[in-house]
Amino acid sequence: MTSSRKPPIKQGVEARADGGAHPSLTRKSGKGREGAPLLFLIPALVVVFAVLLFPIGFSLYVSTFNWPLSEGMGPRVFVGLGNYGALFTDAEFWNSLKLQLGFVFVALPVELLLGFGAALLLNREFFGARVVRTLLLLPVFFLPVLSGITWRFMLQPRYGPLSQVLVSLGIPETSWLGNPGWAYAAVLMQDIWRMWPFMFMLLYAGLTSIPNELLEAAEIDGAGYWKRIRIVITPLLTPTIMTALLLRLIDALRIFSEVFTMTEGGPGSATLLFSLYTNKQAFTYMKVGMASAMAIFLLVLSVVFAATLVRKNMSLDVLERKAGNR
Amino acid sequence: MRRNRPAVNALIACAAFLVLAIELFPIAITVVNGFRRDVVILSGKPFELSQLSLRSYKLVLERPGFQKSLVTSLVVGLGSTTASVLIAAMGAYGISRFRFKGRNILAYSFLIFRMLPQISLVVALYLMYKFLGLRDSAGGLIIAYTSFNVPYVIWLLLPFFTSVDSSYEEAAMVDGCTRFQVFFKVFLPLVAPGLVVGAVFAFINSWNEFLYALILTGINAKTAPVALNSLIGSDILTWGQVCAGGTLMLVPVFIFTVAMQKFLIRGISAGGVKG
Repeated sequence: MTSSRKPPIKQGVEARADGGAHPSLTRKSGKGREGAPLLFLIPALVVVFAVLLFPIGFSLYVSTFNWPLSEGMGPRVFVGLGNYGALFTDAEFWNSLKLQLGFVFVALPVELLLGFGAALLLNREFFGARVVRTLLLLPVFFLPVLSGITWRFMLQPRYGPLSQVLVSLGIPETSWLGNPGWAYAAVLMQDIWRMWPFMFMLLYAGLTSIPNELLEAAEIDGAGYWKRIRIVITPLLTPTIMTALLLRLIDALRIFSEVFTMTEGGPGSATLLFSLYTNKQAFTYMKVGMASAMAIFLLVLSVVFAATLVRKNMSLDVLERKAGNR
Repeated sequence: MRRNRPAVNALIACAAFLVLAIELFPIAITVVNGFRRDVVILSGKPFELSQLSLRSYKLVLERPGFQKSLVTSLVVGLGSTTASVLIAAMGAYGISRFRFKGRNILAYSFLIFRMLPQISLVVALYLMYKFLGLRDSAGGLIIAYTSFNVPYVIWLLLPFFTSVDSSYEEAAMVDGCTRFQVFFKVFLPLVAPGLVVGAVFAFINSWNEFLYALILTGINAKTAPVALNSLIGSDILTWGQVCAGGTLMLVPVFIFTVAMQKFLIRGISAGGVKG
């Protein structure tokens, strides 16, 4: 199915079959100018090494120690994989993972459904369609910190706007963020509110790139609206859906600011997500070694998902082909 | 894609605007409450719009800490934007104009670097910064922000760079320019629109960032998001000021979302999405 969308750009590909967009420049660089790309890439590589790769290596080192936050708090003791072992028997660690899974299995599917529905609904022209499509994206770029603060404000008992709306609907007054269950639900709600338009944005873009002829052909063959969605649109959108889900998944694993400002992980540990717990280990319990072990754990998980995403759904060639064919 | 049926379209338009209204409700709450006085906010009538005033704006801006934090956010944002666009432009040029061994691996590595969770790096950065004396300095924060902006902007710039024909550069090289002269004098002006897009995204990334700022700064280099968060930490309920400060911080975000519409998808999906 997917291949049927590719022919229009085939010609451009063949013209650049050597993989090089600029043959004459490539030739020059072949003549003893091999050092040139490196010179251009050095600054980026230095930054990446100093502030990304070195800290990762350092974390790995720290994670093998019982390493207090400051020197005055006792000696650093080498414990090997002890910190990792301690994590697996730590109830808080499992709790934070469990809370994280809620995001993956509740928030993400809801965001996907809302986004898909809105993309189907808004894929037509009506009065104000462009305005709606643009303004819907505002929450995605709303400062995460401010989003957390706003939801915290809205849910305050007695005067919070949202809690007052709920009261007027006949729901009894509650301290929403003071109750473990409701606080977790509110954190999920906040994420769904902020991020379903992200799904919408990607799926809408995917939808508009489906050729009309395909849909018309299906219609001529007698496929109704729902059948067209099922047999034409959904299969064609699957790669886009996978991309969107993986991007959101990687994002959901590291969620911090919104929840930190909204609930600070509480009440108790009801919203103490993985990143909040890592932060707590390092700067409240002052156990930098444990925090580093958690950091490495999340890093490995994220890199696995990111590599899957990049290998399956991203392509430098596609990007260059699209750019060259503009 | 569908035939226009006026009744259906009107219905969909209504539904769309209803969804939009719900979606923008929390944002409206923030903006409106910045103009309501704290006594009114705490009175328990969330939709009463009497006594609107600029008092909360005045109060929040008079807090020396908050004003300073806005300036710091601006300095850090602009500093990191400049550094990352320059470094990323060179990197993207290296990737898009040369064919070398490991080119693909390098390009894809940058894409993965873009997705590394900050919480995984911040503990080590904290220890490093403490050792190097970079903690609580705008410079330190600029370096940290540049590290996540560079891989991001490289991928944002690649399509812009690839779409520029190389004949101008070839001509300049025939005229005797060095590769670096070609890059700065001939190539960069040609991709100016791309650089603007990259710069705007880098700035918003820095402007919205919270975790690094929270951990790596103290009193001196506190950014606006951290200062805003510390406003709700105090015992006195000053939601008006929080909302006023928040609204001020939203201004660049509003401008960004409307001005960058065309590039938002590329910005969040890293481009090069198959299918």
